[in-house]
Amino acid sequence: MNAKASKTHVTCIEPAYYEAITEAIRKEAVQILKDETVVGVVGYLPGRRKGTASPALVTTAEEAGKLIFSPACVNNLSVYLTKAKKGVLKKGKVGIVAKGCDMRALAGLITESQLQREELFIIGVVCPGVYGFGAERTGTLTEANIARKCRECSVHLPDGADVAAGTHTELADLTPEEAEEMARIEAMPQAERWAFWKEHFSRCIRCMACRQVCPFCYCEQCLCDKNRPQAVESSPRPAGNMAWHLVRAMHLAGRCGGCAECERVCPMDIPLNLLNRRMAKELKELYDFEAGLNPVEKGPLNQYKEDDDQSFIK
Amino acid sequence: MHAETKQHDFEPKIVAFVCTWCTYAGADLAGTSRMQYPSNVRVLKFPCTGRIDPVFILRAFQKGADGVLVSGCHPGDCHYMAGNFHARRRFAAFRALLSFVGVDLNRLQFSWVSAAEGGKWVDVVTELTERVRTMGPMPEFKELEHEEQWSTFAGASADKVLNSPELKEAYDSIG
Repeated sequence: MNAKASKTHVTCIEPAYYEAITEAIRKEAVQILKDETVVGVVGYLPGRRKGTASPALVTTAEEAGKLIFSPACVNNLSVYLTKAKKGVLKKGKVGIVAKGCDMRALAGLITESQLQREELFIIGVVCPGVYGFGAERTGTLTEANIARKCRECSVHLPDGADVAAGTHTELADLTPEEAEEMARIEAMPQAERWAFWKEHFSRCIRCMACRQVCPFCYCEQCLCDKNRPQAVESSPRPAGNMAWHLVRAMHLAGRCGGCAECERVCPMDIPLNLLNRRMAKELKELYDFEAGLNPVEKGPLNQYKEDDDQSFIK
Repeated sequence: MHAETKQHDFEPKIVAFVCTWCTYAGADLAGTSRMQYPSNVRVLKFPCTGRIDPVFILRAFQKGADGVLVSGCHPGDCHYMAGNFHARRRFAAFRALLSFVGVDLNRLQFSWVSAAEGGKWVDVVTELTERVRTMGPMPEFKELEHEEQWSTFAGASADKVLNSPELKEAYDSIG
């Protein structure tokens, strides 16, 4: 954001900043639980090991005092509102700690009528970045261990949240690794692109972690689990893997908020967010749609204009 | 009366996903008008182009199609008002995805063919068939279909993977 203009080169983010966010989250969470604005708050508690955090649903003010925010708070918590903790919404309003990228997921889910804005109390985090997958998790967040998505974050400020925790800081001016990788693949000859993705997809073990962690994969029955007729082969073989990843990318097109959770949880290190990013880029170019922090009426593939581009159709 | 049938080295398999209200009727018109077009095309009838899921196209390629045609009503003529408008956006996105993973988009054709356009149907089918014929068979998806998960380790590296010290130790410990 402003970091680009002023060219300040921040190489590490002080732990004190995360402590300030933690304080703000605790204060807010305790407050809304005490005055019974919400029945629970989905946030992060310290993990058992140092330098980790685990998602948690806290229901008492006492517990809420233990909530934290650190660079280890990588999870996109919005997934708990549609899947694992679906039941909590039935009991009343729920508070949720959300980074900018998580808020895009929340906005998307509200757009798709999976959540109601009135049912949520969003504690937005002015997030300076989180640890990357497999990176060193001790000490401060530096250029070496920041997540790839955070290198080119465009949702630093959680606009539209009920409260914002943390104060605006300059983001580090880092090289956009992911954008560069995407450009590199696009520049490849067609056969090389196929070889690139074939190699990546052939490693897939079809653990479906990418689906389970995705806030948008909330279908009760996934197309890929159906076998009458079978659309996508379910065993981890190259044919089914390719089909699965194409179907996944296609189903997330115009919806994905870019939290890159799929890529983080992938045990085989498949660069899944590249596919999501590519689709997002296409929809931006074609229909001027970008996943934003606030709900919209309809996603780009759920609406049309009479004069949409049809140069590829005869 | 019958046109001379030319012998070709390669007869491509073309799968056409068509909507029942326009293109299917258009193809029918071409047939009843005794127009000649390549018999390589296999027509599959759908209620609407909006019903044609991109996964059908993938499936067609996997199961041996060398080219795929998706055809429906002209914009504004959809029997269900807006099916083809939605399909248009979806396929525009799907094309970008296929291109990104390295599929040659020349094998995938979209067209609007109305019930009155028997001639256009013949043109579209002929052009796609001939284009795919010059491109040859589509190997990518078919190869995947016959590959096994460990085929990436095939050849020289297979020894390394299968004879790793860890595996040996595990094997020996079974006794």
